[in-house]
Formats: sequence, structure tokens, C-alpha cells
Amino acid sequence: MTVAKLFRHETILAILTVIAMIVLASLSDKFFTLDNLLNQGRLMAEVGLISLAMTFVIVTGGIDLSVGSILGLTAILLGVFWHNVGLPLPAAILLAMVCGTFAGWVNGLIITRFSVPPLIATLATLALYRGLAEGISEARSVRGYPEWFFFFGQGEVLGVPFQLWVMGIATLIAAAILGLTPFGRATYAIGANEVAARFSGIRVDATKLWIYTASGFCAALAAVIFVSRVTTTRSDMGTGLELDAITAVVLGGTSIFGGRGTIIGTALGLILIQALKNGLALSGVKGDGTIVVIGLVLIGAILVGALFDRNRGG
Amino acid sequence: MRTEQIGDATASGAALPIELRAISKAFAGIKVVSNVSFDMRPGEVHALMGENGAGKSTLIKIMAGLYQPDEGQIIVNGAVVRFPSPKVAHAAGIATVHQELLLFPELTVAENIFLGQTPKTSLGTIDWTTMRRRARELLDELDSGDLDIDQKVLHLSVGNRQRIEIARALAQDARVLIMDEPTAALAEHDVQRLMSIVRSLRRRGVAIVYVSHRMPEIFALADRVTVLRDGHLVATRPISEVDEPGLVSMMVGRSIDRLYPPKQGTDGEVILELSGVSHRSVVRDIAFKLRRGEILGLAGLVGSGRTETALTIFGITPATQGQILIDGKPVSITSPEAARDLGIAYVPEDRASQGLIRPQTIEENIALANLKRLTRGVFVDAAKVAAEARNAISRFGIRARGPEQPVRQLSGGNQQKVVLGKWLATNPRILIMDEPTRGIDVGAKAEIHLLMRKLAGEGMAILMISSELPEVLGMSDRVLVMNGGRIVGEFDKEHATAEAVGTVMTRSYDKEQAA
Amino acid sequence: MTAAALSPGRSNLHRFLSGYGQEIVVLLSIVALFVVVGAINHRFLSDTNINSIFAGNAYIAIAAIGMSMVIIAGHIDVSVGALIGVIATIAGTLAVSGYPIWVAWTVPILFAIAVNAGVGTLVAYTRIPSIVVTLGMLSILKGGLISATAGEWISNLPPEFMIAQMRPFGIPSAVWFMVALTIIASLFLRYTDFGRSIYAVGGNMEAARAAGINPERTVIGVFALHGLFAGIAGILFATQLQVIQSTVPPNLELTVITASVIGGVSILGGTGTVIGSTLAAILFACIGSALIFLNVSAYWLRAVLGLMILATVLADMARRRRAK
Repeated sequence: MTVAKLFRHETILAILTVIAMIVLASLSDKFFTLDNLLNQGRLMAEVGLISLAMTFVIVTGGIDLSVGSILGLTAILLGVFWHNVGLPLPAAILLAMVCGTFAGWVNGLIITRFSVPPLIATLATLALYRGLAEGISEARSVRGYPEWFFFFGQGEVLGVPFQLWVMGIATLIAAAILGLTPFGRATYAIGANEVAARFSGIRVDATKLWIYTASGFCAALAAVIFVSRVTTTRSDMGTGLELDAITAVVLGGTSIFGGRGTIIGTALGLILIQALKNGLALSGVKGDGTIVVIGLVLIGAILVGALFDRNRGG
Repeated sequence: MRTEQIGDATASGAALPIELRAISKAFAGIKVVSNVSFDMRPGEVHALMGENGAGKSTLIKIMAGLYQPDEGQIIVNGAVVRFPSPKVAHAAGIATVHQELLLFPELTVAENIFLGQTPKTSLGTIDWTTMRRRARELLDELDSGDLDIDQKVLHLSVGNRQRIEIARALAQDARVLIMDEPTAALAEHDVQRLMSIVRSLRRRGVAIVYVSHRMPEIFALADRVTVLRDGHLVATRPISEVDEPGLVSMMVGRSIDRLYPPKQGTDGEVILELSGVSHRSVVRDIAFKLRRGEILGLAGLVGSGRTETALTIFGITPATQGQILIDGKPVSITSPEAARDLGIAYVPEDRASQGLIRPQTIEENIALANLKRLTRGVFVDAAKVAAEARNAISRFGIRARGPEQPVRQLSGGNQQKVVLGKWLATNPRILIMDEPTRGIDVGAKAEIHLLMRKLAGEGMAILMISSELPEVLGMSDRVLVMNGGRIVGEFDKEHATAEAVGTVMTRSYDKEQAA
Repeated sequence: MTAAALSPGRSNLHRFLSGYGQEIVVLLSIVALFVVVGAINHRFLSDTNINSIFAGNAYIAIAAIGMSMVIIAGHIDVSVGALIGVIATIAGTLAVSGYPIWVAWTVPILFAIAVNAGVGTLVAYTRIPSIVVTLGMLSILKGGLISATAGEWISNLPPEFMIAQMRPFGIPSAVWFMVALTIIASLFLRYTDFGRSIYAVGGNMEAARAAGINPERTVIGVFALHGLFAGIAGILFATQLQVIQSTVPPNLELTVITASVIGGVSILGGTGTVIGSTLAAILFACIGSALIFLNVSAYWLRAVLGLMILATVLADMARRRRAK
């Protein structure tokens, strides 16, 4: 029964997305062109990767506000390891990603070992990681990366942007893990009833630790793509990204209280938001006006979700 | 129902601070209180007794305004009243000292006593001076002048918090004070202190509804005692007219053996052995042996350490001392998954919060403890999961639309069978069942009892915890009694009578502990 | 065991120290900072610097008063920085458009109260976590601000509008506001039923309901009050410089939240004082200033903030665990 209901939410979302696309295409003839759509896919990939891990986090009933800061920190470290420390670029990329992943693991450790609510823990590390990025970089940007590095953010494979491939593969993997593996089952169980999950022999803390670590990893991966796309590293990269990711996940039908949600829903939520942003921009709404839309969509989606929950409960 | 009215109290009904007449209350079609009459006189301690599920807590919740009765009347000072909310009951002078104390940890003692009705200055602001003075006076009256009124409640012991709740009731001018298992979580010296507070309240004319299982307290404090059984009133008697065995048999009532299935087969070899197992101060020095094919009953009051012992064996609160042996080999159980992998299953006491993930389906719940076995490659095998669920549904007679029905839609008995199904699917050799039939209707109860017998007959070792004495006596091949975190008695089938077990359960062990 | 130990015979001093421990620690840190940094670099103690520490950061302390109340009630608001930015811009726009000065001062404050009362209503009745509602509000306010102003600065502000720059009795008015509002809010929290109900709701919502408090109304009221303080902070922020930048001050919400938490407000709700949050806001301002005078890059300021939040939260969790 619940499966049927989840699909119903996603069906509605899919229909909404199609309607939005049709409306936007009629508002601007530039919208529904292959170039534009592929370009939008390129822009979506970074938030997309983060949203995949965020889905797991929110399904467990947690939240990770520090992803934008982890992205910024990873980007800065990449530049510093390469430019200031003098490591070869591949090593710098790898090491920066290890650091980003470690930052996620630290989140998980604070949350599981010290029982700090995820909201508070990641709010603190949001400040800490961004602060480290600012302190390490001292607002100096790193440029002048070799040409081959730009492939990750600007290259194409078979006519499709490289990061869209990464995003696609990551989506499939995440969907398989959440939907089909014991790990996914444990994730849902923890979000729906952590105590009962523990009493059923689920390794609750270990599962959560993995998920927050994965969240750090995804943010680090997004950082590399981001740097490659914009050809520079700055310490303010990824500011506010957590909001976009949370919005996509919640819009995708994942309950903010945990226990319910799917990767397909998140993917649809991402597409809808990106389409709205792009379509509005093409229709002449100024760049920052689209942030308003995200905020409204987030609150609206949760309100509808809360009402839906209430009806279901009653 | 016959009510044995005594004395001339009802003649002057207007003086009674509260009287219940022919109260009935049903939940989901099951009558939990049926035609019960109950009255309180000013300045008396009236003990309310009965087994779990006898209807005591429903009755006191009706008095406190938390539930509305389906039938019957509530009369306060001679007038028929309705309590649509706890607030109205408060206004009528009925206060409750809760089992789980409803205090504000970060506010001071004085504020906790007066919150919601703080004294005001002429400016309408909170008058801290008066509030603190009155708090001090109230606590002095309760012989608790040693409590610092400016301290945050956060740091206080359970006994002190209870005194604050009582002071809070006095501040509200309560004429009836309901105390629900007030000594369940108290240390011995706090119990003595509480008893002297109850006596001083009685002198002030407060009527006290005293819910407790502990015989020594009942006989030391109560003026009258009312016994409920299966939602019906058994009798109301002056305490001078009853004795301990009499009370126990009034509570237990029905003959026990005919309800329970007989033992099948004989006990096998020892499979689980505990020696000197402790967890902090709640589980102390536990030692026993459990054999294959045996149902071992663990009796005791709430808080006596029964569930805590089970949680220690199951690895939720790992043992801090002592040794657990399985098949004679010492094992270390530090987590539920370790316990499960050793063949231990635990059907927990609180189905809704510990046993099941209620929004999820039957098959998802059953799969949860068996994910390793139900996985092919890296993926959960959906077909195997569904087959496992269907198997459980037919094996245990779970009444459901199918494996994909969310468990929250099932009745209590069927939910319990899902929990059982989940754990039996792990192929355990040791099954711990904590309150296996709590909140389950009679029919499902019998089915679960039959199933337990059958499992034992097939060689399962079962450790059963129950607060229902008839269940313990009827199902167990052997009974261990816990009190104060220790095992204080062991009875074999023949010697396990309600009187004998009940006495050991409720005795206070301060003398033995001191010795 | 601490329970039994703290008998009435115990000194009032001890009780005072345990009740206001966090506030005292913050106060001593401020004093220590002044002594140490002042000894290293005398200019740290110059009139201009002390003036800029106190007057320049008073609006943060004032916003932290409202934030403390919200956190004591068990909620949080991450949109306060954006709200202050919006308030400042509205006030500046009204002032340069020729409206009476009192309109330019009060209308934005009323707007802030209305916005936050709306947030409070959503939080109270839909049970959506306040973090999510205010995250949404953050992006609405931020996006709305930038798209409405296109980032243009507001200048040529009328001099009589610049309330933060006035100096009654030789002390900047922002400091007067900070001190007065901290005292008023402290008295309010201690001596009114509404003030106490904030603690009750944050400490144990169900018990509060049982004691006859309406938790929903309390939450809405707290958010509205928070709006009032944020509004006043916004006006002071708008009038402290000759131009209004029409942007959201970076990190402002974090600084405000951190001030509350470091000042002794437990992030889990139910406890804390606004004197603590005001002291903590001053402490941050001192740290920020000290970093400059010690030739440490100010870029590390946020990392220091993050570490301080983390340390305080971990200490709070440890304290609660011990209490159990």
C-alpha cells in the first residue's frame, strides 16, 4: 500500500514537471532546445549529487546543512593542495575529496556518538567548514588549472555533458541502494522508528555514520565538478546549496520527519526546480528572483506534505 | 455489580470529594471498565488494586479528566459533573501525581510548583517573593523543607520530583490526590518518606487514591481498599477486614490451570546460562539456567529489573559484569545483532515503539531482522521476502489483507504475531518474550499461549516476562521472582502459587539488603 | 547526587555561580580579552575601537535577544540575517522617498513582526520544523531583496533618520538600545507569565499544555517578539553607516545564533538568559576586533565561531547526559 502511495506522489510530480515544461516552452522558444536542456543538466549536476545523499539523510529523519560548506572547503583544499602545496593535480583532487568525505564522517560522528541533533551538529559544522575554507584561502582564488581538468565540468561524452553521466550513474546507484538493498531497508527503518530498528538488530549508528560520510563524499565530488566548470576556486562556493538540495528532496516526496522518500522523487524534484529556475530566467525574471521561487516551493511542498500526512493519519 | 457499601459515607453524599457511579468505558469495542462504582471520603487513603489490565489506570484517568466515561456519573460534592478536560478536573479539586513526572527540568522548584497559577504583584507581574515564600511553606508542610526551592528540577532525584508534584497539587487546593504507583521508582528511604507525606496529607483532609501493587504499603497506609478484576469491581473493603492472601486471591480470582495449554515433551540440555550478570545498578548479580523446551517465567513488579535483565541478555544494555554462556561457552553480547546471530530473539514489551515499524508493511517488518538471509547478491530478494511474510501469515494465523498491509492497521494481537513472526524467522534457539500478551484480546491471548507451548515442545527455550500473575503461573515450568534488580525467589511448577509468588514479589527487601 | 548535596545551607554565591555560570564565563572572557589584547596592542583600548566594538555590534546583540527567546522556546530562525537586510532596505527606501522619519522607523519593524508571526503560525500549527520554514523564508527574503533592489546602494539618507549615530549623553544610541532592551527583555522573561511560558514550552511542551499554557500561542508570540527585536536591529543596522548596501549581511544569522548559544541558551530549548546572549555578542565583536589587532587574519573569524558553537553544544549535551 505505501509503495502504491509513494508512486502516486511521484506520478503527480512527474505530471507537474511535464506541465511546467510545456508552460515554460510556450513562454520562451529557447527553453525547449537540446542545447538549453543539456546545459541545464550541466548546472543541475552539483546540487543533484548532493541531493542524492541528502535523500538518505532525510529518510533517516536527519538533515545535513553543512553540504554547501563541505563543497566550499573541498574546492579550496583542491586549489591549495595543487597551487600552494605543489601536489600533482590528480593527487590534489583525490586528497581534497578525502578531506571532504572526512568532514562528512565528522558530522556523522558528532551525531551518533554524542547524540547531538543533526540540525544543530551540521549548523555548527556549516560555520566551521566554511570558516576553514575562508581561513585557509584568505579570500584568494586559485586559477590557471590545466586544460584536461576542465573536462569534468565542461567536457562531453557522446554529446552529453560529462557530469550528467556522473549524475545519471550516481542516481541509478543511489536508487538501487535505497530501494533494493538491506542498507536501504535499514535507512527507512531508522527514519520510521529508530528504536524498533535497533531492537530488530539493525546497526543504527553505523548506518547513519555511513550516510553522513556519503553526504560528505557527494559534496566533495560536486566540488570537483564545480571547480572544473567555473575554472576557479573561491571560498564562498556552494553557499546556500544545502537549501537547494533540501528543497529538491522534500519536493520529491521525502518526508522531513523521516521514514519515507525515494530517489526517483528526488530526481523529479531536481528537474522541476531547475526547469522553473531556467524557465523563469528565460522569461525575464532576474536571476535572484528565482531564489524566491525555491523558497516558496520548499514551504509549499512541505505544507502540502504535512496536510497529506494529517489526512493519512486521520 | 454488587458494591459493598460500608459505614454511613454515602448517606451524606454531599460531603464526598468525588464519587463514581456505575462507570463503564470501552476502547475499540472492548470494555475495559464495566459498571464500576467508587467513592472517596475526605481524609482517607483508598487503595486501588488489581492486575495489569484490570482497569485501574482507565478508572483514574476518568477521574483526572483524561478519559470520558461511556456510561455512569461522576459526582463531586453531591453534584453531577463532567470532566471534559484535565483542567476541569483540576478546578474540581482532583490532582494527579503522574508515574512519568511532568515537570520542567530547567525551571526552579518554586516555579514548577506554581507554573500556570503564579502569584502576581499589583502590576500583574510575577511575584517571586510570594511565590518562593509559599513554595517554602508548602514544602515545609510536606516535611521537605530541605529541598532548595531555587534549584533547577533537572538535578533532582525521582523522590524529590515527586514531592514537587505533590506540592503542586496542594498549591492547587486539591481535595483528591491520585497517586499512580508512587513508589515504583523510589529508593527505600524515599518510600518511607513518601508514606509519612501521605499520612500528613490525610491529616489535612486530602483524599488519596493510592494505586500500588506493594502489599506492605497498602497495609501500612490504606483505610479502604478497592479491587478490580477484568474491568469489574470485585469489592471495596475496609483494610481491617482483609489480609494479604485474601487480597491476592481477590485480584487473581479465576482458576488458572484450565486456561493454559499443558506442557509438551521434556526439558533438554541447558542452553543459556547467566552467572553474576549485572548492568549498572538496575540488574544485579543475576544467575540462572535456561533449558531447551522450557518456559521460564520471570515475575516481579514494574521496575524490579525483569525487562532490564532481558535487555542485557539481548545486548541493548550490555552486561557490565558477569558472564553469559550459550551451550556452555562464554559469549560477549554487545549489540542486538550480536544477540540475534547467537540465536537469541527478543519480543519486546512495547510493541508500538520497540517491536514494530508501524507505518511499514507486514513483509517489511518481518524482513527487518532477517535482511542477511533474505538478500541475494547485494539486493534484497523481494520474492523471498514476500514468501517469508506469507509463510508467517499462514503459520501464525495473522488476519491481514496480505503481506503488503501496513502493520498499524492490524489489531493488537495480529501485530504481536507479526513481531513473533519476525523473530521466529531468524530461527532462534532462545526466545525472550516480554509481556507477550499485553493489550491483546482473550482469543489472541490463547492463540499466543498455545503457540508458546508448541515452540517449547519443539525444543525452543523460552524466557517469559509478565506482569500478569495468572499468565506467569499458568505458562511457566519454573518461576523466577525479581525484586530490586535481583532474583529473590525460585519456584517450580507445583510450588508456584499466587500467594507465594505474590508475597515474594511485593515484599520490601530493606532488611535483607541492610544485612 | 548533586540534588542531595545542594541543601539550603549552601551559600547563595554557589547557587548564583551555578545559575549564571555561562554568563560569568563569557563576561570573564571579555575582560580577559581586553586585558591581554590591550597589553599587546594599546590601540585596542582606544576610544574609537571600544566605540566601534560596542556601537557597531549592538544590533547583533539586539537580534540575539529575540533569537534567544526563539531558541528557549525550542525553535530556531535561520532567516534573521536576511530579515535584517530587508528591514534596512525598506527603512532606507522610505527615508529617501520623503516619508516622515517615524514612518521609516516603524513600518519596517511592523513588517518584521508580521513576517515572523507568519513563520510562527506555520511552525506552531503545521509542526513543520522551524529550521525548514525559516530556510524557505531565508531564500524568499534574500531573493526578494536582491531582485527588488538589483543590489543598488541607498545613499543620501536624511541625517535625522540616522538614529544609530545619535549620542545621547555622549554614548551612542545603539549602545543605549542594547542595554535598555537587554534589561527590559530580562525583566519580561522573568516577571511575566508569557516570559515564563516560553521556558515552559521549550522545556516540556506537553507538560506546559497540562499546566494550562497554550503552546501554539506561545510559539507565535515568541516569533512575533523576535520580529520586533529583529526590526529594531534592522533599523540600527540601517542607520549606522551613510549608505545601505541592500544586501543580506553575510553570516549574520550564524553570528546571532552563536551569540545566543554561547551566552548559555541551550539549543535544545528550555533554558538560557538574554544577558548571556548580549554578553556573547559583545565577546564576538571583541574577538573579531582582537584578531585584527593581533595581526591574525579576520578570515578565521567564522571558523572560530563554528568551533565555539560546536564546543558549546557538545558541552551542553554532556551536561544533560550527566543530569540524567
